[in-house]
Amino acid sequence: MSGGGGWERIRSTRGGRLSRETSLTGRTARTVRLGRVQPQAPGYRTIFCNDREANLPVRFKGNSISTTKYNFLTFLPKGLFEQFRRVANCYFLLISILSMTPISPVNPVTNVVPLSLVLFVSLIKEAFEDWKRLQNDMVINNNPVDVLHDQVWETIPWKKLQVGDIVRIKQDGFFPADLLFLASTNADGVCYIETSNLDGETNLKIRKAVERTWDYLTPEKAVEFKGEVQCEQPNNSLYTFTGNLIIENQTLPLSPNQLLLRGCSLRNTEYIVGAVIFTGHETKVMMNSMNVPSKRSTLERKLDKLILALFGTLFGMCLVGAIGSGIFISSDYYYLELQRGVGLEFNPSSRFSVAILTLFTLITLYSTIIPISLYVSIEMIKFIQCAQFINKDLHMYHVETNTPALARTSNLNEELGQVEYIFSDKTGTLTRNLMEFFKCSIGGEVYGTGFTEIERGGAQRMGAKIQEVWVASIAQRSPHAVHEKGFNFDDSRIMRGAWRNESNPDVCKEFFRCLAICHTVLTEGDESPDKITYQAASPDEAALVTAAKNFGFFFYRRTPTMIYVRESHVEKMGNITDVPYEILNVLEFNSTRKRQSVVCRYADGRLVLYCKGADTVIYERLADGNNELKKITREHLEQFGSAGLRTLCLAYKDLNPETYESWNEKFIQAKSSLRDREKKLDEVAELIEKDLILIGATAIEDKLQEGVPACIETLAKAGIKIWVLTGDKMETAINIAYACNLINNDMKQFIISSETDAIREVEEKGDQVEIARFMKEVVKEELKRCLEEAQHSMCTVSGPKLTLVIDGKCLMYALDPSLRVMLLNLSLNCSSVVCCRVSPLQKAQVTSLVKKGARKITLSIGDGANDVSMIQAAHIGVGISGMEGMQAVMASDFAIAQFRFLTDLLLVHGRWSYLRICKVITYFFYKNLTFTLTQFWFTFHTGFSGQRFYDDWFQSLYNVIFTALPVIIVGLFDKASLYSDVSAALSKKYPELYKEGIKNMFFKWRVVWTWAFFSVYQSLVFYHFVTISGTSGKNLSGRMFGLWDVSTMAFTCVVITVNLRLLMMCNSITRWHYISVGGSILAWFVFILIYSLLRENVYYVIYVLMGTFYFYLTIILVPIVALLGDFIYQGVERWFFPYDYQVVQEMHRNDPEDNSRAGLLEIGNRLTPQEERSYAIAQLPRELSKHTGFAFDSPGYESFFAAQLGVHAPQKAWDVARRASMRGKPKPSKKH
Amino acid sequence: MSNDNAAPSSSSAAANGSADSAAPRRNSKRPKYSKFTQQELPACKPILTPGWVISAFLLVSVIFVPIGVASLFASRDVVEVVDRYETACIPAQNRTNKVAYIQSSANKICVRTLTVPKRMKAPIYIYYELDNFYQNHRRYVKSRNDMQLRSNSSQDDTSNCKPEDLINGTAIVPCGLIAWSLFNDTYSFSRGNESLNVNKKDISWKSDRDHKFGDNVFPKNFQSGGLKGGGSLNESKPLSEQEDLIVWMRTAALPTFRKLYGRIEVDLNRGDTINVTLGNHYNTYSFNGKKRLVLSTTSWLGGKNDFLGIAYLTVGGLCLFLAVCFIIVYLVKPRRLGDPSYLSWNRSPGGR
Repeated sequence: MSGGGGWERIRSTRGGRLSRETSLTGRTARTVRLGRVQPQAPGYRTIFCNDREANLPVRFKGNSISTTKYNFLTFLPKGLFEQFRRVANCYFLLISILSMTPISPVNPVTNVVPLSLVLFVSLIKEAFEDWKRLQNDMVINNNPVDVLHDQVWETIPWKKLQVGDIVRIKQDGFFPADLLFLASTNADGVCYIETSNLDGETNLKIRKAVERTWDYLTPEKAVEFKGEVQCEQPNNSLYTFTGNLIIENQTLPLSPNQLLLRGCSLRNTEYIVGAVIFTGHETKVMMNSMNVPSKRSTLERKLDKLILALFGTLFGMCLVGAIGSGIFISSDYYYLELQRGVGLEFNPSSRFSVAILTLFTLITLYSTIIPISLYVSIEMIKFIQCAQFINKDLHMYHVETNTPALARTSNLNEELGQVEYIFSDKTGTLTRNLMEFFKCSIGGEVYGTGFTEIERGGAQRMGAKIQEVWVASIAQRSPHAVHEKGFNFDDSRIMRGAWRNESNPDVCKEFFRCLAICHTVLTEGDESPDKITYQAASPDEAALVTAAKNFGFFFYRRTPTMIYVRESHVEKMGNITDVPYEILNVLEFNSTRKRQSVVCRYADGRLVLYCKGADTVIYERLADGNNELKKITREHLEQFGSAGLRTLCLAYKDLNPETYESWNEKFIQAKSSLRDREKKLDEVAELIEKDLILIGATAIEDKLQEGVPACIETLAKAGIKIWVLTGDKMETAINIAYACNLINNDMKQFIISSETDAIREVEEKGDQVEIARFMKEVVKEELKRCLEEAQHSMCTVSGPKLTLVIDGKCLMYALDPSLRVMLLNLSLNCSSVVCCRVSPLQKAQVTSLVKKGARKITLSIGDGANDVSMIQAAHIGVGISGMEGMQAVMASDFAIAQFRFLTDLLLVHGRWSYLRICKVITYFFYKNLTFTLTQFWFTFHTGFSGQRFYDDWFQSLYNVIFTALPVIIVGLFDKASLYSDVSAALSKKYPELYKEGIKNMFFKWRVVWTWAFFSVYQSLVFYHFVTISGTSGKNLSGRMFGLWDVSTMAFTCVVITVNLRLLMMCNSITRWHYISVGGSILAWFVFILIYSLLRENVYYVIYVLMGTFYFYLTIILVPIVALLGDFIYQGVERWFFPYDYQVVQEMHRNDPEDNSRAGLLEIGNRLTPQEERSYAIAQLPRELSKHTGFAFDSPGYESFFAAQLGVHAPQKAWDVARRASMRGKPKPSKKH
Repeated sequence: MSNDNAAPSSSSAAANGSADSAAPRRNSKRPKYSKFTQQELPACKPILTPGWVISAFLLVSVIFVPIGVASLFASRDVVEVVDRYETACIPAQNRTNKVAYIQSSANKICVRTLTVPKRMKAPIYIYYELDNFYQNHRRYVKSRNDMQLRSNSSQDDTSNCKPEDLINGTAIVPCGLIAWSLFNDTYSFSRGNESLNVNKKDISWKSDRDHKFGDNVFPKNFQSGGLKGGGSLNESKPLSEQEDLIVWMRTAALPTFRKLYGRIEVDLNRGDTINVTLGNHYNTYSFNGKKRLVLSTTSWLGGKNDFLGIAYLTVGGLCLFLAVCFIIVYLVKPRRLGDPSYLSWNRSPGGR
């Protein structure tokens, strides 16, 4: 599409290195929220165009935008405020304050140092991200724009633009602000804009200037323009605008038709002139932007529960200690001098206050149980996972669109590993929205040699190595094969005029003429086959016309009454003639008719009706006879259908002038009738669309995105259920569902449709209340019936898989609170669900139905603005980037270029992130619990006084230095390397492994309890082994160890053990693991060797210790005893109850190390390409589908979305077409 | 499954990591290849196979059992004579109110007789062992001032020392509860008529003497308050030479602790009877603390400590046992490595 790129493109031309930052705007995440309009500010604004001074008093905002969160001054206070909104940080602030009071057993440093380190790291990260946003803003603000100044166009940056300025925008340029459209180089004062940045639609929209201003095109003229615009205050409604233009005392009403919104771009127009109305943050697109609601992953919410549990434990421990201290305290311990000069803290006569104060003391002492660095570590890990792994994954880089994957939030990485439901948009996500003429059946003969994705997929399931076959089939194509947009067809029998040698050249000729004439396509650009582009309301039509062009029937010009076709090879090879056809009537397509006809008159007077439409409607209207052809063609249709192609039947009928004239009168009458015009037109059409003669059928491939069926199959194996939510019609949606493997003929389909006769009947009566009541009743009955059947078939062992197809209208009633549960139960039993004709709001409703109702983790993927609500509603929103507008991407959490990259995103990155984060969390939990428990045991031996076991600095550096790095390394590298855990390729080869994430196998309470159990065990070992051997121990010269000697020894054991434990839980060990683990242990020794020379209480302890055998024997013994429990547990678990990934890991333990992810895909082949090809073809599915999807979306399909928004579609597509086609004609003499 | 149908060349280039030399498009957003970002760092992937488990157990037991045996032997070589005396040293008539007795000014000399069970080679270390004495109590541990102990110039610094900080407004040196409660039982030994010299030099850690206790800091106002917590100090000797104090002030980790009192530097023979003349001054009666006198030799490992040896032996034995268990399990119920039937989706039919 010419419009691809959007914002993205602007920036990439301004410097590629900024491309990444561009997308990072997403962090501030400005996005359009559809369907929610802010209340408008009262009053209106008056703008004096072309008069900066007059506008000065009003102080309109400038055109520069800023998406940064902080500025230089607010950074520290605001950033700190943000940090302390986290409960954990607040908690540690509180603890730090507590530790400054005399009741604290520890030096404030114990808590202040980790807290400040954590805050410091977080603030740096914030600053870094804000800096990127600032750079991004600067790029946008400095885009150049031509503004009128002293009778010339002067180029200034966007940010200098002011309200009232007259600007010139050239073709393909973006509008820098909301503009009032004044004049255009096109006749009629129209211009074409592309709004893909706003709503993702790439079809062009027409805007028309008020006639009075058409002349202000050149600088000389424009400078005379002195208008006054009175209009509404800035608001966020994209589709409304009211105002008046007052020019020379003449008041002209303004409508959205004169408004050019910032973010749109100009198309097919040399340049336009406009006046700036809203600038910067007051533009409609910016007013629409709001922060994406920040999502938290489910795992994190579970983590909160864990933290709560830790708080509970902490409180329990403190309570035990406090009660103990109340009991213990006694003046008998005279050496404590508790009789005189003693505060409440130790006063034996007020045991209660002793207990209370001790409680606080102990809270301070045990505060390490809450891992302070956990959040910042996880954040760091996730950030690197996003920035380095997801964003830089070459497997998710799309070469054609030059788009790498993009993680826009780093909150949800691990959520990707637990997705159970995927909600997918169809157009642009599953399909490319690219229709290609793929096969055809003419006069009972099939032409076209390609394989569709679904055929390939089918063959692949049968075990054929299709990739080579496919490559081979490409190689075998004739060198003349044409492949252009909309045409992917090759058959030497009919290409390049060869059809004249076929058995029935006349039928072929009719076929091609029907393609070339029977349509509502309009042309654009040069009238040569290479340069022309076809503008069609539906891409199917464009594909058919393109096909005709390639067959030698080149439609190159249209006037309101004529179609010109350049026919070659018709009479004899190489002979080219331009043939005009007079178009007498166009019987348009609509969803009830499911067909389209054109009555045309040949130059020689032949009068023909050409008709194309769905097979069902065409077959009903065929003339009797020629049953053989009908039968064969029917077979072909079914064959096409099973290959996932969209079919259309072509037919024609010769008319005699008299019958035509009499019919035409009725037609004109119907057309000019004021009431029920549509209905009457349909009725009239019926009169002539009968006794047709079948020509053949076309098969159009609704081009799936690459690799979609394979991807869907993989995801399905991974236990993920995929729902398709689309605005398309039911047939189209089902068709695609077939093509994507979501539905096949083995499945039991439940179809709940509003297109039944009963419903239509009620609808015709027009009583809204009655319709609603009836519909609800019908839907309820249907749901009940389906649910019963579903449950019945679930009971039988090998019942067929179920699938549900429901359309938007029924869904509206099914989503009613009273029916919702039934719908949910039914749909959860189905392996795939297709919802068609749904509005954006319904997409979001369905998503939240599953999210909230079933409490499953959901992912929405889509590409357009109509997917925004769904993307925001799901746990994870994924936007398709690189193709159309940015709205979906802006609202999404992850952006990928292709649907198929979901496998990588989920099965590789998601799974790994999940595993890693689980490990990190449980490990953090373990190490802090273990550490704190040793303190706890010590408390029992200190008369519950809350004496600390370890030196202050040991305790404060434990989390941030001695055990910090290895766990981050695990969070980044574990399973990172190949064949550890399971390599990327294996993750995809065994998609079932993903289920471990869906079931949350690695962060269940059972897992937590196991860790907690071993924590208790280990802490007991640490404390008792070290104290027992330490207190009875002495060195050679008989000297005894003191408190600090023992605690240093214990701490050494803890650091060693905890770090070794980390190695034990790794599935892969890179040298970074060794370095970090070794480094951490070494860091401790280096630290203590230096530190013990500096501090009074631990002075020289390590040297004293290292001079004894005790020390060495203990630090060998204790870690091994401590780890023995875990080791046995792991050994037994692995041996008897292995996790799936462990089995897979074992299966591939001998695979060579250097296998990369792609490497595994090429499995050795010993067959010659020829053999393989024939083998694969033999493997192709042969059974015929009962399903024949028909092509051709209604021309109104793009206005469907607009209608959902309550905005009336401005023009019928046909009007657009007519207008555009007239543009090509010589300009009216009025201009020059 | 294969995601590179469309661009086999590009993704194989990606896989090989070769720089995309073919067309280094300007403005290409193609991520640069690195083993890090593609998560392809070389790594070993330890699989905890039964082989590994069994050999790990065997290895541990092979190492631990000898160490355990050696340390048990070392511990056995140590001869220890323990005498609990806190009740015995109180005259029978005073035993109903021991606290009053210990606080009275009566003569608290008491004589104990020890028999040497085994030959003890010099040096023989004399320890006192206290029980139920919370030297690690929070109030106690911090009740000292290291600055004051170390240097003469800061002898008025008595922060942390409350309530034993000042007396009549002048600083106590050494201040604080620890010093105040200095242990003051005395022991002298004789074998028959031969008195055994107790060497009290060098009983403290050298690092403490040299660093923590200044040689120009002299005791001042010590134990001159109304309530005496324990022993007093010779005011003419600097703190660095007050080794009893230095030993005492290296606070113990647990409420039951031993501290070195001195050394006897002659060998004691088996069956020798040692008479201990004991000055029983220290009050442990208030809190029912026991007092013990310990004579002990040392080995290469230190003092008598069966714990390490037993622990080593136990762990070594346990590992051996586990190794045997695993071997048996391995033989009885083997599981093929990487048996696909163990995969959950193969285990539960219809799981898909």
